[in-house]
Amino acid sequence: MTLPVQRPRSFLERLFIPEILRGLYITLQHGLHNLFHQDQPTVEYPDMRRVMPDRYKGAHRLTTRPDGKVKCVACMCCAQVCPARCITIEAGEDADEPIEKYPVQFQIDMLRCIYCGYCVEACPKDAIRMDTGIYEINSFTRQDMIHDKAYMTDLMDGKKPLAEKFYRDQPDQAPAGFDGTQDRVVSVDDSRGL
Amino acid sequence: MPTVKINGIEVEVPAGTNMIEAAAKIGIEIPHYCYHPHLTVAGNCRMCLCDVEAGGRGPDIACNMQARDGLAIRTDTPRVKQMRKSVMEFLLKNHPLDCPICDQSGECRLQDYYMDYGQYESRLADPKVTKHKRQDIGDHLVLDAERCVACSRCVRFGDQITGTGELRLFNRTDHTEIGIFPGVRIDHDYQGNLADICPVGAITSKDFRFQKRVWYLTDTDSICTACATGCDIKVCHERNQVFRIKPRRNDAVNQSWMCDHGRMIWQDLTSLGRLLQARVEGQVGNTDAAMQTAVETLQGAEPGTVGVVLGTQASNEANWALWRLAKDALKGASVFWCQGNDPGAWDRVDDLLIDADKNPNTEGVRALTRHDASIGDGADLAHAVREGNLKTLLVLQDDVLGRLGDAADGVAVLYIGTHRNGTVDKAAVVLPAAHTVEQDATYTNRRGQVQRVRRAVHPAGDSRPAWQLLDRLGASLGKAPGASTAAIAFKKLSAQVPAFADMTYRALGTQGLPLVAPQPEAQTDQASQEHHEPAK
Ligand code: SF4
Ligand code: SF4
Ligand code: SF4
Ligand code: SF4
Ligand code: FES
Repeated sequence: MTLPVQRPRSFLERLFIPEILRGLYITLQHGLHNLFHQDQPTVEYPDMRRVMPDRYKGAHRLTTRPDGKVKCVACMCCAQVCPARCITIEAGEDADEPIEKYPVQFQIDMLRCIYCGYCVEACPKDAIRMDTGIYEINSFTRQDMIHDKAYMTDLMDGKKPLAEKFYRDQPDQAPAGFDGTQDRVVSVDDSRGL
Repeated sequence: MPTVKINGIEVEVPAGTNMIEAAAKIGIEIPHYCYHPHLTVAGNCRMCLCDVEAGGRGPDIACNMQARDGLAIRTDTPRVKQMRKSVMEFLLKNHPLDCPICDQSGECRLQDYYMDYGQYESRLADPKVTKHKRQDIGDHLVLDAERCVACSRCVRFGDQITGTGELRLFNRTDHTEIGIFPGVRIDHDYQGNLADICPVGAITSKDFRFQKRVWYLTDTDSICTACATGCDIKVCHERNQVFRIKPRRNDAVNQSWMCDHGRMIWQDLTSLGRLLQARVEGQVGNTDAAMQTAVETLQGAEPGTVGVVLGTQASNEANWALWRLAKDALKGASVFWCQGNDPGAWDRVDDLLIDADKNPNTEGVRALTRHDASIGDGADLAHAVREGNLKTLLVLQDDVLGRLGDAADGVAVLYIGTHRNGTVDKAAVVLPAAHTVEQDATYTNRRGQVQRVRRAVHPAGDSRPAWQLLDRLGASLGKAPGASTAAIAFKKLSAQVPAFADMTYRALGTQGLPLVAPQPEAQTDQASQEHHEPAK
């Protein structure tokens, strides 16, 4: 069903030509402004990218204890609360540790994750966080979209989106000029409060 | 029977019933840790404190208050609430709160009662008392003394049920610590029960350790088929996979216990010898083709040379279907049954639960033989085979060739069963049958209690319930026994065999019914016996 929307229009508006000219004038104003000022709200992604606010929910990482082992104790609270049912944990017993229980495997299917952050809230151990600021959660295979324990534990060191890892691993498929070591990324601080 | 009043509601209970049970009868839950219906009353947790209105002096503990006329208690006064809260605060004072790594989490009474009756703010300023954690006290058990609430259930189990007495509460007050005597290990066959009765996560099962969070599991009521006792169990499973088996209360069968062997029967589902596909002359193939070969073998056999062997390992329904098959579709086939264990059966036995007979349905088959006197026994079968009167045998889950040995060479055996054995290797046709955890059926235990098993998971591979295979076989032979579902098969069985008269799946319920005794005047009135819910 369609509903007709009533808009009162003045005579000038109904002529259209003046309105078109008014629109062109606004565009011209912005064009001239941008020619002489450097305060555009857009960034030239992917050559530049924003620094994400602290509470931005990006890719998950697993936090570690001072000895390098993951803090996670495989309690399954996150897997239980996850509305997308995308967390799979296999628990195991650590014979040496006082903590006894640890995740042998920990996987998140990022294709199913809805970035609600419930897993972070549910965790009694502060073992899972989404504070990486990484929003480029992409890959060329479905399998790579399942982030596993090793990947999520190292995420903060590498801070590389998976696509770059893929190109590093398959250099013949990388776009011209891509060099895994070079950092093309210029971070843009969002101090203008955009 | 005395009448007592609980929260103003009158209830009539047998003399000697305590107030926890009496209250449960009218749907009032009195929280408790140390009371267990099959152990003596210790009265040391104090969680069940109630106000006494009349007929006594209160507050008093419900587990130790026996029903007597004039007794009136209340469980809903502010004082009772305060007492429960204070007891919880004491019990949790030094508690480690290991919930994230504690297997009891999700079925823990400390968790449940804290949410229901605790909800206080912690006032503890001192460091908690620490105790020994993760102790290996038996092949199936892990003990964490910090989580113990000193209810002494496990101590009483060891003293009163197994009589082995390995566990004790050592020291006093805050430092009370559950432990085993130095140099002792728990090595009886009932270890799993200690993990079950421990109301918290102090004693947990090693076999189930960290396998699954309990709230993911679905429980299916069933019975254990590892021996003739037929303990009531619940099968805990998730996504078509069984994770553990726990006992269910049935005062007529197993009280609240079961043995450790029975707890692991689910491992048979995927064990090495499991038959997952049909075989013809040792060649694995599909069920339809094997069924066709079986039909041709049976149709091609000379009249009078076909025998069927009932299986004490198989359900009442399957045995009934096979018996009908012999009577209707295979006219003139002789019917046999073999008593005793298959060669190589598990051999433990004691006078608590584990029976010497490892067949879950000996009594069910015996009930059939009482009804049909033409059913021959193992000696008759051996005789018939030696005389060469039998050329084709249709065998239901009984290691017939293992019993008969070389005498049966030359006999074409059609076998229906779950696992590989001496008969399977020599059988002409093998049809894979579903395990008890994978089908609906009934079994009759050593005392004649007819009890249901319910399907918890899908039959593995190509296996199907034996009654279903026999029904299909009958249909191909021209006259099906009519077992389209287990319930229908059981209905027909109960109509045809007087020992099962008037039984239906609904009437069997969760606790089962005893076989109807042969003489009509000796009929028991247990059919109207009320069903006990398992104690928590
Ligand atoms: S962010 Fe939400 S959907 Fe994604 S893994 Fe966590 S709980 Fe699941
Ligand atoms: S909630 Fe935290 S500790 Fe528990 S399984 Fe998830 S990440 Fe691990
Ligand atoms: S015993 Fe209960 S309260 Fe204690 S750690 Fe285990 S689940 Fe938590
Ligand atoms: S170990 Fe468990 S059953 Fe034994 S006294 Fe402690 S809480 Fe009770
Ligand atoms: S149940 Fe009554 S004192 Fe423990």
